[in-house]
Amino acid sequence: MIDYLVSVLTEGSIFAIMALGLNIIWGWSGDFDLAFYGYVALGAYMTLVLTIGPPTPPTTYILGLTLPFPIAVAIAVISSMLLALIVGAIALRHLRGIYFSIVTLGAVYVLYVFAGQFVPLFNGYNGLSGLFDPMGDFFGLDFSTYPFFYLGLCVVVLILVLVMVSRLSSSRFGLALRSLREDERAAAAFGRNIYAMKLKAYVIGAGIGGLGGALFAGYLSAFNPSAWSPVETIVLYAAILVGGRGSNRGVVLGVAVMVMGLQEATRYLPEIANQPSFAPAFRLILTGIVLVLFIRFRPQGLLPERRMRDKDPAGKGGAAVAVETPITGPSLDTGAA
Amino acid sequence: MTALLEVQDLHKHFGGVQAVTACSFTAAEGQITGLIGPNGAGKSTAIDLISGFKVPDTGKVRFEGKEVQGKAPHVISRMGLIRTFQSPREWPGLSVLENLILACFEPRRERFWRSLWGPSRVEKDHANEQLLHARAILDEFGLLDLRNERAGNLSGGQKRLLEFARIRMAEPRLVVLDEPMGGVNPVLGERMATAVLGFVTAGTSVVIVEHNLPFIERVTDQVVVMAAGQVIAEGPFDELRGKPAVVDAYLGEMPTYDDADV
Repeated sequence: MIDYLVSVLTEGSIFAIMALGLNIIWGWSGDFDLAFYGYVALGAYMTLVLTIGPPTPPTTYILGLTLPFPIAVAIAVISSMLLALIVGAIALRHLRGIYFSIVTLGAVYVLYVFAGQFVPLFNGYNGLSGLFDPMGDFFGLDFSTYPFFYLGLCVVVLILVLVMVSRLSSSRFGLALRSLREDERAAAAFGRNIYAMKLKAYVIGAGIGGLGGALFAGYLSAFNPSAWSPVETIVLYAAILVGGRGSNRGVVLGVAVMVMGLQEATRYLPEIANQPSFAPAFRLILTGIVLVLFIRFRPQGLLPERRMRDKDPAGKGGAAVAVETPITGPSLDTGAA
Repeated sequence: MTALLEVQDLHKHFGGVQAVTACSFTAAEGQITGLIGPNGAGKSTAIDLISGFKVPDTGKVRFEGKEVQGKAPHVISRMGLIRTFQSPREWPGLSVLENLILACFEPRRERFWRSLWGPSRVEKDHANEQLLHARAILDEFGLLDLRNERAGNLSGGQKRLLEFARIRMAEPRLVVLDEPMGGVNPVLGERMATAVLGFVTAGTSVVIVEHNLPFIERVTDQVVVMAAGQVIAEGPFDELRGKPAVVDAYLGEMPTYDDADV
């Protein structure tokens, strides 16, 4: 039972890191990016090829180094950011809304098929394996204590990411990004370089996604195309929407509910004879139902994005007190009165 | 009186439609310049061309003596030329106060690394001053009590006022207002006329596109009349009133400010 709990929490922390990255792109900057899981996957692949050593025939993959895990993770994050820079530079130039989504969906499918078909890159559909207990030897951990260490590592990284995005969220950088989400033309009219800002947010978000992917690789110890498909991005979107688009705490809560809660709860469904695929299918159906309900009844999510709030009752004079408290959720336009 | 904005022989076509043809006019520093004309005269296109939201086919736009035609909107905005849009474009999901704070473009504070490390003491003081300034402006426009409200929840008229408040906050050299009186009631109209005059006092020159002629007559120093993509007359409003070409193209029978609702 405790092992199970540790694995659920580890996975949850990793997904929370990924979702926080996607939240920068969709929650703040407002771009519905479907390529996001590609950056997660690249982070995972790069971590593996940098740590598991040279390939033994018949497997083939690039690099095959035996770098220490933290360095491999850093390089993996940078490669995810580079890929995002290329995709974003093309897709964010002129495309918005659904057109942007379609181009990013195309990009991630190219990557997906390429990783599957082009065997010399990441060993095709068989994928990579062999990253056992990263940093376990260094700290002298055995297989029974290692999962606790890795959970701790993931939680620490999650907290670091959370601190970072919280600082960004309340900064002028985060506020300016949200103005792009709310009205791009007005943002341009007030001096914001839309393309540069959106690209910056896209690359930062993808970097955090790559970090999540790298930790995911360490957790799974292997990675292949069956471990990720472009559809996975939707799970992250569901978590962000349920938790509260744009809100960091909301996103973490959303992952707890949608990834850990919902996914794990459906694991205990009674099995239907001769229908082994029922449970996974039901999980997706349930995800869909929850999404529809939230969009209809609580579009701002469980913990809505917080606004800068000026609490000084007199409204003038004295020291300015800016405190963050929620007022309302993302754009559900009530129209002009 | 030096020309702050100089538009020279601007052309722009969309497919077969010649939206702006040989449009030339100037807007002087410290003045309010009206841009009037019938629907389809090319006023809005001219604004788009000046503010960088559209690229002219040919022609020149000089702002403070520098050529800006074809530059990106944000570049022109940073030079001190800010425009508004026909419908108010507030940032609906952000609070009224945030809308005002964001009207000040401060590239240093919006950098990623600076935002990550957090503000310095000097910057905190600056942010406090900015907040007080924003409050004072909101108070002036009667929006102070709504400062924590989501901007999207404001009424149409309040959104117009918010737009003006943002301009006051941004303090540009020149503001180009695109039909600010659209859907505004007479009482609010009076307030907005005062606000437009207030821009000049605060050091912001104004170019204003508007169909409300009594309003134009009241606030402008100089009026440019456009029809069919061209400038057909330029001068103080009283002079233009008598010109047959202007009357034919647009004015028709003229109401005066005294007997009309503003």
